[in-house]
Amino acid sequence: MVEPIYLFIILPVAAFLMGSLHQHLNRWQVFIFFTVLLFSFYLPIPWLIHLLKGGSTAQVFTAGFLPPISINLQIGIEEAFLMTIINLLGIMGAFYLLHHFRGTVYGPILYLVFIMGLNGIIMTRDLFNLFVFMEITSISLYSLITLSGSSENLTAGFKYIIASGIASILFLIGTIYLYYLTGTLNIDVMIASGYKIVGPAGSIALIMLLSAIIVELKQFPVNGWALDIYTASDPGIAAIIAGGSSSAMFFAAYKLLPLWSPSLSSIIAGIGIMTYVLMNLMGLKQVKANRLLGYSSIAQIGLLVGLSALLLHSTPVTGLTTIWIILGGLLINHLLAKAGLFWISGLIKGESLSSWSVLRKYPSLLFIFACLLMALAGLPPFPGFWVKWNIAMQLAQHKQFLWLGFIMLGTLLEAVYFFRWFGLIMKSELTTGIRVRISSLLPIFTGTFLMFFISLTMMNLLSGFNFNMLLPILIATLIFALKLIPGKLKALMTIFIIMFYFYFLLPELSGLYRLFAIIFFPLSALFMIAAMNKPGYRNGYFELLILIVLSLGNLLTSHTSLQFFYSWEVITVATYLIILRGVKRFDTALLYLVFSLAGALMILAGFSYSYAVTGSTFLGILGSSNSQITIYILLVGGFLIKTGAVGVHIWLPGAYAETEDDFSPIISAILSKTGILGLLLVLLLMGKSFAANTELNTILGWIGVLTAFLGALFAIFQEDLKYMLAYSSMGQVGYIVLALALYSHLGWTAALYLAFNHIFFKGILFLAAAGIIQRLGTRKMYEMGGLINRMPLSFLAVLISIIALSGVPPLSGFGSKWLLYNALLEKEWYLQAALAFFASTVAFLYCFRLIHSIFLGQEKTRFRQVKEASLWFLIPQYVLIALIMLISLFPNIIIEPIAQVMADFIPATLSWEGNTLMSSLGYWNGNVIMIITMGVFMIPLIGLLLRVRSMQKVKQFNIVYAAERPDKPETTHVAHNFFPHYQKALGFLVTPLVSKFWAAVSEWCHTIAGVLRNIYTGNGQTYALHIVFMVVLIYILAGV
Amino acid sequence: MREMAFLGFALVLLGFWAMLTRKNILRIIIGFTIIDSGIHLIIVNLGYLPGRTAPILEKGMRVGDLSKHFVDPIPSALVLTAIVIGLAVTALMLVYAVRIYERKRTLNIDKYRELKW
Repeated sequence: MVEPIYLFIILPVAAFLMGSLHQHLNRWQVFIFFTVLLFSFYLPIPWLIHLLKGGSTAQVFTAGFLPPISINLQIGIEEAFLMTIINLLGIMGAFYLLHHFRGTVYGPILYLVFIMGLNGIIMTRDLFNLFVFMEITSISLYSLITLSGSSENLTAGFKYIIASGIASILFLIGTIYLYYLTGTLNIDVMIASGYKIVGPAGSIALIMLLSAIIVELKQFPVNGWALDIYTASDPGIAAIIAGGSSSAMFFAAYKLLPLWSPSLSSIIAGIGIMTYVLMNLMGLKQVKANRLLGYSSIAQIGLLVGLSALLLHSTPVTGLTTIWIILGGLLINHLLAKAGLFWISGLIKGESLSSWSVLRKYPSLLFIFACLLMALAGLPPFPGFWVKWNIAMQLAQHKQFLWLGFIMLGTLLEAVYFFRWFGLIMKSELTTGIRVRISSLLPIFTGTFLMFFISLTMMNLLSGFNFNMLLPILIATLIFALKLIPGKLKALMTIFIIMFYFYFLLPELSGLYRLFAIIFFPLSALFMIAAMNKPGYRNGYFELLILIVLSLGNLLTSHTSLQFFYSWEVITVATYLIILRGVKRFDTALLYLVFSLAGALMILAGFSYSYAVTGSTFLGILGSSNSQITIYILLVGGFLIKTGAVGVHIWLPGAYAETEDDFSPIISAILSKTGILGLLLVLLLMGKSFAANTELNTILGWIGVLTAFLGALFAIFQEDLKYMLAYSSMGQVGYIVLALALYSHLGWTAALYLAFNHIFFKGILFLAAAGIIQRLGTRKMYEMGGLINRMPLSFLAVLISIIALSGVPPLSGFGSKWLLYNALLEKEWYLQAALAFFASTVAFLYCFRLIHSIFLGQEKTRFRQVKEASLWFLIPQYVLIALIMLISLFPNIIIEPIAQVMADFIPATLSWEGNTLMSSLGYWNGNVIMIITMGVFMIPLIGLLLRVRSMQKVKQFNIVYAAERPDKPETTHVAHNFFPHYQKALGFLVTPLVSKFWAAVSEWCHTIAGVLRNIYTGNGQTYALHIVFMVVLIYILAGV
Repeated sequence: MREMAFLGFALVLLGFWAMLTRKNILRIIIGFTIIDSGIHLIIVNLGYLPGRTAPILEKGMRVGDLSKHFVDPIPSALVLTAIVIGLAVTALMLVYAVRIYERKRTLNIDKYRELKW
């Protein structure tokens, strides 16, 4: 192991040599530069290994004295870790800056000095020495910033000098008074003699030191200058500022943490977390890419600062504890991701967010970009995810719920602007300005690769290695690598992989999970047959499908809430990407993502609260007696968002309708059931004594039935076929929620039966719609009409599915409604039953419209030549019809297993006699009903067939309409604005109040952000004034 | 020597006043150097002990007596470092001023606001 002191010899000596001998060194200069950087990277690694193996922290003494008289350096596990990654960043950053440094000798020299300063900041244990190293890094940065010498560069740099100059003044005054009081400059001794830091002098000294650190950490509001630096400086420099100097400064703050009094410590926590929230809020208004990255960098460092103050102050820890891994993980996640993003920004010529759309031409760069965004947003499988999870757990355990709430808000805001940016890139016009260099690409790719590696390590450390959690991603990546396979073959492979996974999964599952596995695997595979229809490679589509479905499987095998949440987030992200692929405008997909992430955060909050009271993430029991109401609200709220319950449904219609036609059946029929699974799990795992009796179930029931009612009502007024089906889905899932809320055997049986039925008929409807839309090229129902002759098979499929939907005998819908009403009456929920019944009546209206507007009436001239829908759409439809027929004839096939599974949880109230199903209120024999109804149908059918000879076929033009012959017969087909009278009567119910509410929320956020960011006037003196104000504010808040 | 400390603080406040109110960046830089000098005074003053001399070893001094003769040597050492750093920063600021003036033909800090929000 090399003594770390050599860093402070070799780096300056190399810099000095390069400066004085540069005329003689020529090409050797680059060699020296990189050798020295490699040395500095190598130096901490043996230390890190030694310390990880349990070696003790080493102290390096200088000048032949022991501290406190001399300066000492420390290399413990934190230092070794941070030096390793910062020096690695140093090499990667140097590689990136190579072209930038060409022709100048000063760049590399300053760079070496800068790196040395960072290492000094990390290692020194002397307060004044810390000041010196901070100045060394600042001074070298002041100069590095100006290398390209634009005027923006210079003014931004000047603002930086002013702010940093004031910070160093504050630091110096604070330091000297602390020395005066404690008689030492050694940080450890100073902390140990903290009792001497008393009186006004002591507190003012601490406040000054703290203020200086806060300025250097670029915290709100003293960070206007930092934003300018990020915007103006070369992206290569911005990367090492965001990654390197911010991280080193954070570590300096981390070292000083035990010095602060409790009140100062809570001020730091407040400032840090407010910085995280407010910078992310203001980021919403940002349109320049680099500045946005600046906002995000500052926010992330704020989070680090806030968390370290919250988590560490009460319990000082060292070594590899969870808290340490959180902070280290957050730091490295941000360091690599942000550096990578700045490096990419250096390749792109424009400065606006949309100019990044050029990345679409470079799929690998785009992929990296998406990975980096996801890492920063804390999504799996990146280190940020593990950090997010553990932050929630730790904060909940420390009972810091308020701060946890703020952090979640910040995370959501960050995700909004990042994924809006991503959507913008995917959907805006292709730009051209990009310059790709190998030297720039190498660090970008290395960094992202490292991130995966670190994520694995963190998974290993925090929750134990779990291959199943990685499998979906691995398989999806493998398929993605097989780029040139045609889409159809990929579709087949996808179906095969899904069924194969199912085959292995099924024996591991039992009961309820088995039922859901049947929903998630074979049924979604069935729907995927439709994908065979589309030509082309469809890169990404099948990979994401695999990712979604296999993760659904992992959801079912989860033993801990972490595993569940991980798969949940993978599904969310993959669904977002797949929606984004298909839609024309990115906001549809963004809306889906934002609501889903908000839901996921609520779920996370619920899990973390449960962890706080039970101390376990095991998915066996959630919460204890005094926490159940909160946990119930959080988890149910989160899962309700996924089901698209009324109030949080605005993401649903767009996501279901605008996505690709062959994905609509999957998302609306299959993926909507994940929310149902979640709700069911919450009710099960909350413990029966609470969940069966809570009044909250009544509220849940009302939400369900209102969703059913409003969903149906929204559906009848749609002109767009897919939107109508989407709203119909919302309503149907509402019924399922209602049934779940009953918490009775009958109710839950009804719920799952409804779920299966919904999958069958909604699958058919969306697949039929896909077939029709493919042939017609329009989704507007009033443009269709008379298609019964052109598409008889689709007609038949739609007819059968709407019979199943509307709940009339003899098809399966009747059974599901029968069960539901029985269950509602059994529970004496009469009002809900009435509204549910009314909602089914409303559903008739849109069902009728499907048949009337699309298949009946007059044929439109332009669609006279259309053919029947593609076979690939019809195959799954007819399989589903067969399934509907089967469960209609023999309801036992499906109700019996469901009822048996549910009987594990709640004593059964259903019984059978042969094919007759008996509830406490009545009985139902699907078989007999089918036979009777068929008989009733047969009579008019036979009558019709007998009279078929005497019928006269009327051709389309053979009509006389109110005594005149219309020129365009299709105009006689009323299809547009189909229910004006209902609109008059009930239209007030469908005023988009909810959409308006959420639009207002969004607008308010943007307005507040716009007002708030006015404090960044661009004037260096204002920024100096901010610092003065902050010092005064801290003084007041600290209460001295 | 309390007066020295007050003088130091007075200089710091004066310097801050200049930095916050003057528009000419040269004056801002001068304000910064005034603060610097003020701080140096404060630091030196904190280490001062009445009746003692500068911490420089001379011939004939006994090591045991050192702590009785000298003022606290550490602040003196610190102030030297601080002066050097202050010098470097001031020099850089002046270079900035020159370069900025070359570009923008003005020294008024209010005119350097192309980056904001």
